Amino acid sequence: MERAAGMDVLETDVLVIGGGFAGCWAALRAADLKATVTLVDKAYVSRSGASTMSGGITTCPLDSDDLDTWAEEFIVRGSYMCDQRWTYQLLEGQRERIKDYIRWNVPISRTADGSIRRFASRGMVNVRGMQYQPKVAMRELRRQITARGGRILDRLFITELLTADGEWPTRAGIAGAVGFDVYTGRFVVIKAKRTIVSTGMIAMKGTHRVDNDCGDGAAMAFRAGGRLVDMEFTFGGTFNVLMKKFDFPSYNVAVAHGARLINAHGERFMQQYDPERLERSELSHVVAAFAKEIVDGRGPVYVDLRHVDDSYWTDIAKLHRGGSILLTDHVPDPKTNPLPIEPTWGLWASGRSGLQIDLGGRTNLFGLLAAGSVAKNDATGTHASAGSPTAFCKVSGWHAGQTAATEARESQHPAVATDVLTMLREQALAPLYRQPTRQAADDLHDDLARLEASVVNGMILNAEKLARMLATTEAVTVATELCRADDLHDLVKLHEARNVAACSGVVYRSALDRTESREQFFREDFPMTEPSWFCWHGATLRRDGKVIFDRQDFPTEGVRFVPPPPEAGGLGPIGAIIRGEHAALVQA
Amino acid sequence: MSDPTGGKLTINFDTCTGCSLCVLACPVDVIRMDAATAKPVIAYPRDCQVCYLCEDDCPTHSISLSHDISNSRRYSTYDEFGLKV
Repeated sequence: MERAAGMDVLETDVLVIGGGFAGCWAALRAADLKATVTLVDKAYVSRSGASTMSGGITTCPLDSDDLDTWAEEFIVRGSYMCDQRWTYQLLEGQRERIKDYIRWNVPISRTADGSIRRFASRGMVNVRGMQYQPKVAMRELRRQITARGGRILDRLFITELLTADGEWPTRAGIAGAVGFDVYTGRFVVIKAKRTIVSTGMIAMKGTHRVDNDCGDGAAMAFRAGGRLVDMEFTFGGTFNVLMKKFDFPSYNVAVAHGARLINAHGERFMQQYDPERLERSELSHVVAAFAKEIVDGRGPVYVDLRHVDDSYWTDIAKLHRGGSILLTDHVPDPKTNPLPIEPTWGLWASGRSGLQIDLGGRTNLFGLLAAGSVAKNDATGTHASAGSPTAFCKVSGWHAGQTAATEARESQHPAVATDVLTMLREQALAPLYRQPTRQAADDLHDDLARLEASVVNGMILNAEKLARMLATTEAVTVATELCRADDLHDLVKLHEARNVAACSGVVYRSALDRTESREQFFREDFPMTEPSWFCWHGATLRRDGKVIFDRQDFPTEGVRFVPPPPEAGGLGPIGAIIRGEHAALVQA
Repeated sequence: MSDPTGGKLTINFDTCTGCSLCVLACPVDVIRMDAATAKPVIAYPRDCQVCYLCEDDCPTHSISLSHDISNSRRYSTYDEFGLKV
């Protein structure tokens, strides 16, 4: 390590930013291929991000399965908005990663005869998932990386990608990243031949159970010129508000074991909206149905655990937490009393949007790769079934690690000017030296989180609402340039606010640009689906600060399931449910 | 007891060994080590996301956590429609 004035300078073949499933598998694979690997995380690898907090369901293809049937379901339910080569790569890769879990003795739910207990993944009929213990899996990944000589730097907050030409957006590519130690404030420069961002989902801080997923990697890549696609599909739903109170493992786990949703009249209302998959429907359909029940006066909505199989309760203890309130002193008893439940709707991407990558994990920027939820999951399109996001994390991480390690062998470190590093240090640490300001980082996160409002309000978008939301993100962005950080902890939160504002700004701009409704994206001012929007929708930052949109056709190479000819018109599924026209949806 | 949260997130120092696993466990940097006492302190209770990782990782069961501490900034749909749950 070199010690320049006021900074530590490190060199590595492969830098991985973000240590969840995707980043860990990337680091593991790159280390296997004998690259020098540095994995950094703003928290402690194995206890950070969405992977550790994930519900513990992952897609589970085994050698005996017919992957064509699985791929077809992913592609058809994803409305063919996929790169079908990625779909097969996902399934084939995931089959091997499951074997890793078995080899590492990660606890997996098993039946009495010892075989893996599999169930239809939420959102699916043919595709199977399994339940496992994600916290143990994360700890094991850390151990595996260290055993292979990978270097892990915990509590290092990356503030910016390093560009080879010192320009943002860059024309020359990515040369590593810079950041600061969260405990000491020491500025750190990591020069890398290949950089992988694997920083997870783009979510608001304080609205979910994954408060350190702030879209940091997507925002940094976007500032450097990275192409983000389908950002309007970042809008998504999850159940967690009252679930946190009850300490559920996850909605997906509960419904996999037979949990039902009922309304205030005790009716199993999903029978109306999706009689085939019921509570195990597409999550956006479940959330829209929830909204419809509330608007029509049939709320609250309850999760009814009286029908779950016995393994639900034993798996909570084994694979979630033995101390779960559900198992101990919860009043009323959840085994006999339905519990109120509430979903959220807002920034909650699980691969439906993000940095576009090729089959090797490369982004549009030279030297930069992406993996996991920060990347667009082209295997499943706009559809995210239970378990496919974590499968994509593993497989995209593995491929990005392989590509990065292989390419690094033939590469040199680009030269980076010292004055650029000095400028980046000043930008990163400047808020510590500002005069006290009226607003603090927490206030900015409050302003951003308020944009998500209620489920009913959040699902129904229009131009006026989106413009107002965009204006807030712009105001927050300006405020982050003036705001003082009281200490290093506060400095992290201020950078996070900047990144959330940047990501949500691209989401709202992309939503304004898409003048139709499709899948889980619904605009009441453009409620119909338009065939011309059957494409990837890219957003890139230009040097003058303007965001440029493009549309790209889906690849024809590797297509095994040919999409039907596009039909004009028709309400999207969310519009149909909210307007009470879901009978047509059910028939379709 | 270290209790800046009104009893919502507490560390029992009678049993805490100062092993610092809770500091590692916290994804949002709520818990820090106090150099003077060599014991953890709840430095940033405002940011607790109620993930229970600290409670689960504590080998001596010295941490207890209540969901009431939630920093949730979430607006409830039930509030908007005047529904009590």
